[in-house]
Amino acid sequence: MKRRDLLQLSSAGFGSLALSGILGLEQARAAATDPLAVRPPHFPARAKRVIFLFMHGGPSQVDTFDYKPLLKRDHGKPLPFARPKVVSSETFNLLQSPWAFKQYGQSGAWVSDLFPETAKCVDDMCFIKSMHGSNSRHGGALLELHTGSDTFIRPAMGSWVTYGLGSENSNMPGFLTICPTQSHGGANNFGSAFLPAPYAGTAIGAVGIPSRDARIPFITNTETPRPIQRKEIDYSQILNRQQLAMTGPDRALEGRIESFELAFRMQAEAPDLQDLSKESEATKKLYGLDNPITEDFGRQCLMARRFSEKGVRFVQVSHTYKWDQHEHLKRDHAQNAAEVDKPIAGLLADLKSRGLLEDTLVLWGGEFGRTPTAQGSDGRDHNPEAFTMWMAGGGVKPGLSYGATDDYGYYSVENKVHFHDLHATILHLLGLDHLKLTYKYAGRDFRLTDVHGRVVKDILA
Amino acid sequence: MVCRFVLPLVLCYSLSPLLAQEDGPAFFEKNIRPLLVTQCLGCHSAASQPVMGGLRLDSRELAIQGGTRGPALIPGNAGESLLLKVVRHTAGPLKMPPGPKMKDPDAALFAQWIQMGAPWGNTTVSAVPASPQKYWAFVPPRAPIPPMTKNTTWAKSHIDQFLLSALEAKGLSPAPPADKRTLLRRATYDLTGLPPTPSEVQAFLTDTSPSAYAKVIDRLLASPRYGERWGRHWLDVARYADSNGLDENLVYKNAFRYRDYVIAAFNADKPFNQFLTEQLAGDLLPSTSDLPTTFERWTATGFLSLGAKMLAEDDPRKMEMDIVDEQLDTTARAFLGLTVGCARCHDHKFDPISHADYYSLAGIFKSSQTMENFKVVAKWHEYVLAPKEDRDRLSAHEALIETKRKEITARAKTENDRLAAIAQNQVGAYLRAAAHLQRDSQIQIAPVESSPQAITRLANTFDKGNIHRILEKSKPNIPKDSNGPYFAEYTITSPVDGPYQLDILNQEFGSGTADLYVNGAWIKRGLPPVQNRAASPESDGWTYLAIIPLRAGANTIRFEHAARFPYFAQLLLAPHTLPHTPLTAVQIATLYNVNPGFLDQLVEYFERSNGATASVLFPWETQGSSVPLRNWASPAAKLFPTLPHTQELLAARYETLFQQALAAGPKSEDPGLKALHEFLTEKFGPFRAPDNARRYFKASAQAELKALDAELKTLEKSKPDFPRAMGVREGEKIEDLAIHLRGSHWTLGQKVPRTFLKVVAGDNPPAIGPTESGRLQLAQWLTQPDHPLTSRVIVNRLWRWHFGRGIVPSVDNFGRLGEKPSNQPLLDWLALRFIANGWSVKSLHRDMMLTSTYQMSSELNAKAAEADPENVLLWRMPRRRLEAEAIRDAVMATSGGLTHDKPGGSILTYKDRQYVANTEKGGLVDYDRPIRAVYVPIVRSSLYDVFQAFDIPDPTSASGDRDSTVVAPQALFMMNSSVMLKHSRRLAELLLNDQSLDDPARIRLAYERALARPPSPGEIDQAQTFIAQIQKDWANDPIKAWQSFAKSLLSSNEFIYLN
Repeated sequence: MKRRDLLQLSSAGFGSLALSGILGLEQARAAATDPLAVRPPHFPARAKRVIFLFMHGGPSQVDTFDYKPLLKRDHGKPLPFARPKVVSSETFNLLQSPWAFKQYGQSGAWVSDLFPETAKCVDDMCFIKSMHGSNSRHGGALLELHTGSDTFIRPAMGSWVTYGLGSENSNMPGFLTICPTQSHGGANNFGSAFLPAPYAGTAIGAVGIPSRDARIPFITNTETPRPIQRKEIDYSQILNRQQLAMTGPDRALEGRIESFELAFRMQAEAPDLQDLSKESEATKKLYGLDNPITEDFGRQCLMARRFSEKGVRFVQVSHTYKWDQHEHLKRDHAQNAAEVDKPIAGLLADLKSRGLLEDTLVLWGGEFGRTPTAQGSDGRDHNPEAFTMWMAGGGVKPGLSYGATDDYGYYSVENKVHFHDLHATILHLLGLDHLKLTYKYAGRDFRLTDVHGRVVKDILA
Repeated sequence: MVCRFVLPLVLCYSLSPLLAQEDGPAFFEKNIRPLLVTQCLGCHSAASQPVMGGLRLDSRELAIQGGTRGPALIPGNAGESLLLKVVRHTAGPLKMPPGPKMKDPDAALFAQWIQMGAPWGNTTVSAVPASPQKYWAFVPPRAPIPPMTKNTTWAKSHIDQFLLSALEAKGLSPAPPADKRTLLRRATYDLTGLPPTPSEVQAFLTDTSPSAYAKVIDRLLASPRYGERWGRHWLDVARYADSNGLDENLVYKNAFRYRDYVIAAFNADKPFNQFLTEQLAGDLLPSTSDLPTTFERWTATGFLSLGAKMLAEDDPRKMEMDIVDEQLDTTARAFLGLTVGCARCHDHKFDPISHADYYSLAGIFKSSQTMENFKVVAKWHEYVLAPKEDRDRLSAHEALIETKRKEITARAKTENDRLAAIAQNQVGAYLRAAAHLQRDSQIQIAPVESSPQAITRLANTFDKGNIHRILEKSKPNIPKDSNGPYFAEYTITSPVDGPYQLDILNQEFGSGTADLYVNGAWIKRGLPPVQNRAASPESDGWTYLAIIPLRAGANTIRFEHAARFPYFAQLLLAPHTLPHTPLTAVQIATLYNVNPGFLDQLVEYFERSNGATASVLFPWETQGSSVPLRNWASPAAKLFPTLPHTQELLAARYETLFQQALAAGPKSEDPGLKALHEFLTEKFGPFRAPDNARRYFKASAQAELKALDAELKTLEKSKPDFPRAMGVREGEKIEDLAIHLRGSHWTLGQKVPRTFLKVVAGDNPPAIGPTESGRLQLAQWLTQPDHPLTSRVIVNRLWRWHFGRGIVPSVDNFGRLGEKPSNQPLLDWLALRFIANGWSVKSLHRDMMLTSTYQMSSELNAKAAEADPENVLLWRMPRRRLEAEAIRDAVMATSGGLTHDKPGGSILTYKDRQYVANTEKGGLVDYDRPIRAVYVPIVRSSLYDVFQAFDIPDPTSASGDRDSTVVAPQALFMMNSSVMLKHSRRLAELLLNDQSLDDPARIRLAYERALARPPSPGEIDQAQTFIAQIQKDWANDPIKAWQSFAKSLLSSNEFIYLN
C-alpha cells in the first residue's frame, strides 16, 4: 500500500493519522500508520538527512564562487548583450568584483577572498554554477526555492522529505528550522500546506532572535518545576483514562494521552540538543563561537550538527535577509561573509571528522544571484537568471564544478539547473523519486517538482 | 519530394519510395492508431471530459480543424503541422504528450504519416460513448420525498427520516438521546464557541417543559456570541487574514471591518443570498441614501480583496492575473464548491470547466478594480467610509500634499544641480584631493588604548546632549517623540594647543556611526547603517577615529546622528606624536576647498574602477604603474596625444578638458569630450549630487527646505482621517479577456465574452452589459433559486460545522474529484428548504439542531461501529475536539477572565500597509489579551502559535473544513503557555477567594465551570488527595496547589472534547 493511501484511509482523515503519528510509541510505529515513522526510500539513498544553509537576500555569484575574469577586464563597459525581459530595476554598466579570486585545493576551485575558510573545504564541495529560477523578487524566489511554487502555497521541501522518509528521532520533529525569516513568505517557506501537520517545519526562534535564545514554541515553563509538572500530567492522565473507560475505544482520546508523553520527552530532549555547553572548547572554536562576529551563525550551525546527529531529517539554518546588496556591496557582503565563513567551514570539517558528511547532504545558497552590472555605484540587483549553489557530502561528487554562466555571469548557459531540478536531485540523493513522491490533494497528485524537475545525474558521486 | 530542413534525417530516410508506397489506411492502423489511442485520445476525443484545448484527434476532419491553437494537421506538410511540433518539443512551451518526450522513432512515424497526407482508417478512432450522463451536482435539486421508516416514533423531522431510513437499510438504529447536560454543553459550544455557565446549566435542568431545548436554541441564536462563532466559520471560507502574507507581508489594518461585517451579518440572520451578493457586488447594488448601508456594502466587497497577493512582482500583468485568479478560485470554492483554478492553464481535466469558461469568469474580475496600482510594492484599493463632501475634501488635501512634495523635490533638485555644477568645474581640485585622501587612507593609526597623558571620558558623561544618559547597544538611544539631530557634547580641557588622537571604545557600526565635530568644525562623517542587522555588530575594543586639533583650554567635542545615536562606551584623547598626521575626508575636503560628498564618491569610483581600461580617468588611475597607456580603451584617450609629466599638470589638463566638455554639451561631436561629459553627468557617476546632499546646501536653501518640510508635515498632520475599508469597485476598463494559452499572458488566444460556467449556467443567465464588469450578474446567477450548487454548498457547510462531516465530505469540492454525497436526498431537501425559508441561516440551524439526530448521544455501539466505522450514516453524534478559538476562549471563560468587549478595530499595533516586522511576534499584537479569539488578528506567514498548533486552516485559501490533529505541540501549549499558566492561576484564585466554599464545593465549582457537570464523590476524593499532596511540593502554597489542579483539569480530554 502506498503511504499516501495509508494516510488517507483512516476514519477521521488526517486527524487521527496525525495523532497516531505523534504517539511516538513503538506500537503505533509498528502499526505503520505513523506519519513520522521511518520509511524506506524508493531506492538506496546516498544521504539520510539534509542541512540547508540559507543565505537570504541573494549572495552575488560573481563575488563569491563564480569567477569572471572578463568582468574585471570590461569593468565600466556596457553589458554587451540583452537583459532579461523582466527585471527588478535598472542597472548600469558592468561592475567588477571588489574581491580577488584564488584557486584552492586539488580541484582548483575558484573562491573569492570573501570565503577564505570555506575555500579550504572546496575538495569536499560540489558547485552548481548554473542555477536559475523564475522570480526576480525575494518573496517569489524564496517560495520557489523552498516550495517549488511562486504562485501558490505549497509544502516546503523539508516537509516533502519528512513525508517521504519519516523521522529518525521519535522525540523530535523531523523538520526543524532555526531562526527562520518571517518575511518573504515567512512560515510558508517551512509550512506543510496540504501535507498533514506533523510534516510542517518546527521553528526554533525567528529572525531577530539571537540563536542563543531561540526556542521551540511553548517548550519552556518558568513557573513549574519539572517533577511537579510530571505530577500534574499524571493526574490529568488519570482523568483521561477514567473518561476513556466510559467512552470505550477512541483513537483521538488515546492519541491525546500519548501526545502529552511525547511533549514531555520533547521538552527534555530539545533543550538538551540545543545546549552547546557540552561541546568541547575546540569544537566551539571550530564554529567561531569565540568570536562575536561569527558566534550567532556558528551557534546555528553547531545546533544543526547536533540535531542531524540525533536523527532530525531536515535542518535549515538561516542567515536571514542580509545578502541583498543593492548598495554597499563591498562593505556588507564582506560583513555577511565574515559572519558565515568560519561557521560553514567549521560545520563541514566537523561533519567530516565525525563521519557524518558521508550521509548528510549540506546545501548552501540564496534565493537568487545578483547582476554583474552595477546598481547605483556600489551595488548589484537581483538576478534569478544565474547564481551558484553548492552541496557537500551525501552522495554528491566532491570537488566538482558543474554548469557555467556566460562571460560575465549574467545568465546560466551550460547545464542549467532550475530550482525544480535541484529539488529533484535532492530527493534523488535521499533515495526518493521526485515523480513518485506524490500526495493527493484537491483531486490531483501533487509533487514537490510539480510537472518539472530533472535529476542532475552528473553531480552524483 | 523536398526534404524539409526541419525534419531530421530519420524522416528523410523513411520517405524512401519503397515505404511511401505502403497502403495509407494500413499504415495508419498499424502505426498511428496505437499511438493516438495510447498517447493522445485520453484528452483529445469525444469521450474526454473536457476536450483539452478544444482539440479532438479522433477523426481526420477534426484533427485538421484543430482546437484553440489552430489546425493540428496539415496533410502533406509534416514540418508545419502543430502535432509534430508539439511531440518534438519544438512548439515553444507546448509539449505533448505530458510526461516524457515521445520517442524519436514514434515521432518519425507521425511525420511520415502526415507527409503521406495523413490517411485515416475508419472514420473515428474512439470507442467510448460520448456525452455521459449529467453529473449530479450540475442538475438542480428536485424536491425529494422523505422516506418512510420502520421506527415511526424516533424522527422529529424530515431530516431524521432521511437519516433513519439510511440507517435502517443497513440494519442499524440511532443512539439514545444525550442527557441534558451533554446536550446543553454541545449546543452552547456549537452555537457560541463557549462553555455553558453553571447557571445556564441549572436553568436548563429545571426547565422541564417540552420546549425547554428549543428555548435554549433560540436563546443561543439571539446571543451576540453566536455571530462571533459562526462568523468565524465563514471567515475560514473567506480565507480571512489581517495581513497579506505571501511575499510582502503588509498589514491589512482595515480587514477587521469585513470581519465585523460578517459577524454582524450572522447575528442579524442576513439572508444568505443577500450576504453573497453584498460580498461580490455590494458596491453595485441600487444606490441608497443611507450612508451606513452604503458603507456596509462596500465593506462586504472586502471578500474579494482579502486574498494573499504577490505585491512585489516585476511583471505587472502577471500580478494582475494572479490576483484575478485568486479571486476567481476563492469565489468558486466558496459558493460553487468547485476548483476552477486548474482551468487557468488548460481545460479542467475532470470537471466540465473549459479554458474558455475560466477566462469568461476572469474577465469579470479583470474588469473590476482591486488595486490602486501594480507597482512593486503594489497598493490595494481602500474605500473611504465618509460622505461625499468629506471624500472630496480628502482628495483635495491629498493633492495639496502631493504638490508640496513636488515642490520640495524641485527645490532640492535646483540645489543639487547647483552643487553638481560647481563640482564639475573643479575636477582638478577633486583629483588632487582624492589623491591626498587615498594617500592618507594608507596610513594605519593604531588606537592608543592607554597613555599617561590620555584624557578619557565615559560616553554617558556628556556635558550637553539630547540622548539617553545610559547608552545601550543596538538601541536608538534617543527619547521617544523628540526630534533630531541627536547629539552628545563633551567639554575637554587641553593643557596646550596641538593635535590630539581621538579613539572610542566598543564603537557600534552596524546601525551607522555618528558625525564628529570639534569646536564647531566638522571633522568626520558618520556612516549609514549596515543592512538588516538586528543585532548590531560592534568593534571589540578601541577604534581610532581621527587626529583633531585642540586648543589650550576648553574644547567642544560633539557626536551627532540624524536618526539615532550609536552606542560607544568611552572616548580617549591623547597628544598626537606620530610623524604622520592622516586627515579625514572632511578635513581634506576643507583643505582643497571641495565638497566632501563628491570627494568620497570620487574615491569610491577609483576603488571600484581600479584602473579599468574603459575609465576616462585611466591615465590618472594608473600613474606610476607599469600599465601601458595604449591599453586605454576610452574615447577620451584621443584628447591626450601626449601626457603631462606631473600629477599636478595632469590634474590641470583634466580640469580644462572637463570644462571644455561641459561647454560642448552632451551632444558634442568630439567623442572624447562626449565621453567626459557623460562621466560628469551619469546617473551614478562621482559628480552626481550625493545622497542626502542637503547638508551641503547654502544656509538660505537649507532654511527654505526646512520651512517646506515643516509645511509638508503640517499638511500631513492635518490630513482628515476617515475610516477605510478594503474593497473592490468597477474597473476603469471593462473588457473581455483573451484565453491565456498555458496560463501565460505572453501567449494569447481568442477573446471570450464575460459570462458564467456553461455547464451550470442554466437557460437564462443574466446578461452582462458592455459597461458592467458582471459582478452583480454573477451574484444574481449564483443566487437563482434553481442554481444547482449555491444552496447545496452552503447547507452542506452548515451541516459540516454542526456534525463534523459534510453530507458531501469534500465541502469545498463538489466536482468529480470531490466525494459523493452520503445522502443526496437529504442534501437536496435541505437546499430547497433553505431557499423556501428565505435563505435564513438561523432557520437552518433550528432545522438541524431540533432533530433527534442532533440530540443523540455519542455512545459507542459496537455493531454500528463495525458496519459504519466512520459514522457516515450518523448512528451516533460524533465526538468532536474544540477548535483553536474555542479552546482558547474556553480556557479564559472557565477562569472567568474572558471579556466580551469588542476591541473596536484591529488590535494589531501596526499601521495599515506597514510591514509585519521581521522580528519576534511579541511586538505585533498582544495575543494574551482576554478578548474572544475571533478578534485576535490572523497574521499570514506568522500565525499565532495557538492557532498554528490547533489546526487553523491555511488563511491563504478558502476552506470550509478543519483538521483536528493531535500533536505534541498542542500538549506543550497546555503544559507551558502563558495563557494556560495565567488562567489556571486565575481559576485557582476564583475558587479559593470564595470563602463560603469548602474544598469539595470548590472542586464541584471547578467541574461545573470546566465540564458543565458535577464531579462524582470519587472524583472529589481523588482531587482532594491530589491537591493535598501537590501542595507539599509547592511549599504549602495553596494557590499553587489549586493551580496545579486547575491545569490538570483544563488539560484533560474531557475539557476539549464535546460528547
